[in-house]
Amino acid sequence: MIDVDARRKLGQFSLKASLADSGFICLTGGNGSGKSSLMRAVAGLLPLDGGHVRIDGIDITKSPTEARRVVLVTPGSLIPHLNVDDHLTWGSRLKKLRVPSERLSTVKEELGINFAGRVSELSQGMRERLSLATALLSCPKVILIDEAFSNIHDRLDFMAAYRKLVADEGVDIIFSTQDRSDGSRSDHLYVMSDGAAEKIS
Amino acid sequence: MEHSRKIIVMNWLRVIALVSLFLLLIPVAVLLYYGLGPMRSSAGYSITVLHSIELTLFSSALAAMVDVALFTPLAYYLARGRDRFAETLVDIPVSIPHPIVGVALVILDSPRTATGMFLTSLGINFYNTILGLVVALVIISAPIYVKAMQPYFESKDAAPEDFVMGMGASRLRTMLSVVLPNSVPGIESASFIAMSRALSEFGSISIIAYYVLQYPFYGVSPASVTIYALFSGAVPGGLNAAITASAVMILVSLPIALAAHFFRKNR
Repeated sequence: MIDVDARRKLGQFSLKASLADSGFICLTGGNGSGKSSLMRAVAGLLPLDGGHVRIDGIDITKSPTEARRVVLVTPGSLIPHLNVDDHLTWGSRLKKLRVPSERLSTVKEELGINFAGRVSELSQGMRERLSLATALLSCPKVILIDEAFSNIHDRLDFMAAYRKLVADEGVDIIFSTQDRSDGSRSDHLYVMSDGAAEKIS
Repeated sequence: MEHSRKIIVMNWLRVIALVSLFLLLIPVAVLLYYGLGPMRSSAGYSITVLHSIELTLFSSALAAMVDVALFTPLAYYLARGRDRFAETLVDIPVSIPHPIVGVALVILDSPRTATGMFLTSLGINFYNTILGLVVALVIISAPIYVKAMQPYFESKDAAPEDFVMGMGASRLRTMLSVVLPNSVPGIESASFIAMSRALSEFGSISIIAYYVLQYPFYGVSPASVTIYALFSGAVPGGLNAAITASAVMILVSLPIALAAHFFRKNR
């Protein structure tokens, strides 16, 4: 359950968005409507002037990013010098957890990670698959996906597979998209304009 | 014959830029020409001068390594932390006359001060030691290193850092295991810039380490000090020897400046 009420003034723009839901949440809206700012607020990367951020009832408004278990994934979210397998398990190794090998192979298969080698040599679509899988395997509570589905081939299949995997784990997702029809493939749809979020479904 | 006429457009920016660059290089050209040509003196590349250059290269390389080890976190902190106050403080050592840095180190380590007695009791001595020389070079080159690394870190996309912090990595952990492994070209370039700055230092080291008295440099002065001593007549050799030694020093420093440029191009 993500419960956020974000208020922040950023020059001419002011973010004043509320969102309270769980599951696979689609966030859409024009350029500059505040989608990224709202996600950065949930991740603790954008300090708030007012409001709150609660995950599963726990107030994390003042918590630093590293303590939130909220992972922000953008098209640039990669550790370039690693190879694919080390990248996948990076987050769990950081927490001194071991990813069971059958789980690793399930995630790799479901998300189409049938490639290896250095991350810096992967294509953009491969990178997005890898960073989304890495986020999932790091035991988060929330994954925020800022346009990171956009370069993936067979995007809809990938989204369906990802949605199923995160639901099994009980991880909540907010993802931003330019394609409003993604709303029909989500549990909830919010449309943002001018820093405010309106719940459609 | 209309079509055979050439259209010549002067690139005035290029002209102005190259003229100003030429002005900047006049002292270097003068020293190379006179030092290796009409005013050449064998005292300018005597064993004394060569030992001085050795000491300067060694201590400057060491200072650059200390800069990397101690000041990379500061550069990263300034790049990501938006701490204006700390940013201003970094500039202070650059803006004070360098001999004062030497004086400060003498006072810090003087047997007449409490800090000096404390340091001496630990066996730490700056005056006319390689340690004092390197400490002075670190103080004057570290701000240059930080000012070179900070824009490098700032120019890097923060997305990987935001990503791993979300997975639970602290800022320090993020720097060590994500930022630094992908910043090697920037560190190489900045450390060569810092080393170039250390090679050219005179003011602070002429006070704190006019000579280095310990192993393996018994009585050797840093190159800039030796050149000044030749020039002023404190060491026999005279003006010609000073100019020739300067030309030799330029030839030695050049590859290091070029290395900084090479790594900057490749990053």
